[in-house]
Amino acid sequence: MREEARSRRLKRAAVIAILAALVVVLGFACLFAGSSGMTVRECFAAFAKKGTAAQNRIIWNIRVPRVLAAIIAGAGLSVSGLVMQTSLSNSMASPSTLGVSNAAVFGANLSLIAFAGGYLNGGHNASDFTFGANPFATSAVAFAFALLSVLLILGLCRIRSFSPGVVVLAGIAMGSVWTAGTTIMQFYATDVGLSAAVIWSFGDLGRATYTNDLIMLAVVAVGSVFFILMSWRYNALLSGDAAARTMGVNVDRLRFFSMLLASMITAVCVSFLGIIGFVGIICPHTIKKLIGQDHRFSTPASLLAGSLLLLISDTFARSVGHGSALPVGAITTLLGAPFFVAVILAGRRDG
Amino acid sequence: MLKVTDLRFAYSRRSAPVLRGVSFELADGEVGIVLGRNGSGKTTLFSNILGINSPDSGSIEFDGADLTKMPRRERAKLIAYVPQDIRFGALSVFDSVLMGRVARFGLTAGEEDREQTRRVLDEVGLAALAERTVTELSGGERQKVAIARALAQEPRLLVLDEPTGNLDIENERLILEEARKLARSRNIGVLSSLHDLNRALGFGDRFFFIKEGVVKYDCRREDVTADMINDVFGGRVRMVEFEGEKIILDEKKKI
Repeated sequence: MREEARSRRLKRAAVIAILAALVVVLGFACLFAGSSGMTVRECFAAFAKKGTAAQNRIIWNIRVPRVLAAIIAGAGLSVSGLVMQTSLSNSMASPSTLGVSNAAVFGANLSLIAFAGGYLNGGHNASDFTFGANPFATSAVAFAFALLSVLLILGLCRIRSFSPGVVVLAGIAMGSVWTAGTTIMQFYATDVGLSAAVIWSFGDLGRATYTNDLIMLAVVAVGSVFFILMSWRYNALLSGDAAARTMGVNVDRLRFFSMLLASMITAVCVSFLGIIGFVGIICPHTIKKLIGQDHRFSTPASLLAGSLLLLISDTFARSVGHGSALPVGAITTLLGAPFFVAVILAGRRDG
Repeated sequence: MLKVTDLRFAYSRRSAPVLRGVSFELADGEVGIVLGRNGSGKTTLFSNILGINSPDSGSIEFDGADLTKMPRRERAKLIAYVPQDIRFGALSVFDSVLMGRVARFGLTAGEEDREQTRRVLDEVGLAALAERTVTELSGGERQKVAIARALAQEPRLLVLDEPTGNLDIENERLILEEARKLARSRNIGVLSSLHDLNRALGFGDRFFFIKEGVVKYDCRREDVTADMINDVFGGRVRMVEFEGEKIILDEKKKI
């Protein structure tokens, strides 16, 4: 019994420590890898702000915000997935179960096609659609719609105290409505507007700026602190609604704030970076397989695993794309899905 | 002491009420058994007492305090529950039992909570399994973990919904004896439903027969009759005495 206790604790500690170490190492490796042809020494110099002006700029203006975005968004999306799965008692739940991503895409399409493309610029000049123009406006509209979608669903839940199953269905319905709206808008869009909108929806960490990172960090940090503080209540919720209630957990309130925070995290990440799918499914499930469902440990481990997956995916996306990075959203799934299947098939022990 | 007065409850405005004025009392240290046909409202009664559902009217009091108006965390310190369908996350046995104290410790468990958890695990004979993952255990062991979790809450009233559903005959006896002992030693009330009438007669002090949404018969063990059982369950049983114990038999069977 002592042995079991020790090996369990050791495994948890090892998994979390290894993940943390990998995030740090890979974070730096990502800073030093790229298409600019800088040597590692030059990178170090530039990191210390002692390189040439151009090198300093590449590191500090392009790579650092990008690496930070990977770490922050990865952590946020992963932990949101974990929390959604527990609070909805549904292992298929993901950060965008409430239709947040679809709503954000709709908002971005509205901004790019209807406003920028259709009315403001006539929509025939490709340069009008470069993200340098005013990406923040697009993100803001995307976020506004994501927020609207979340508040609509959660408002309904509040009024009629929905069961988790109904919430999931309502989320699917809500997401479909946004997607239908997007389709109609894209049908009427100009070629340029359409391509801008489609490219926007590909998740891309290259869009990140320090401002974006800071906003994402704030939301992810608030959410994570809440998620960690509520660890024992999530553990109780794993025994079902009724049991958790009799243990003194205010299940409705916990579920409401969990969904609100998880969806806010997702909304911010998607609005700034585009859709980066599957992180919220792969990472938490892999962690649960490795160290069990205890939220005191699965929460920090999921945060780290998300960062790691996005760092790996982004490095991969940048190195195979020959100068232009592939959309990282596709890479996370492409790399993550086979690994995920392997994890599921490998150990059928810890449920 | 638990005191339920004229409790009424329907799942929705359109559906027929399940509880139509349930009243009964259960003293500390007593084992009360709720009997009734499937769907007669036993689990519904429990969920009202536990605050999973709130009653349409009537009152539920514990030592004079109105349970329906009590904050969830305060209520959890008074009443603990072992549900019929027991579910656990993939946590260790120790942590699953420690979890029962969440209403007491709030955010993080302290040494006192761990101490209490160890004591309860010893009490129900789970100490050797403390570090196993609950989801790997057998149905009977999981049932014990659920009971240990409820005890870790240090409740004044323990509500058991079909506590022997997953147990073999020997474990069934052990669990019920354990619950009875706890009722006496900790002086807590135990309220339970049980399918097996013979088990129930051996286990309970008080019997509450539910029919048509009310407690139709409320009596002590020695006053239970075959007529009551036949009225409530609609069957035809008879009761014999054997070595001082009441035994219920189907009418056609012979000893």
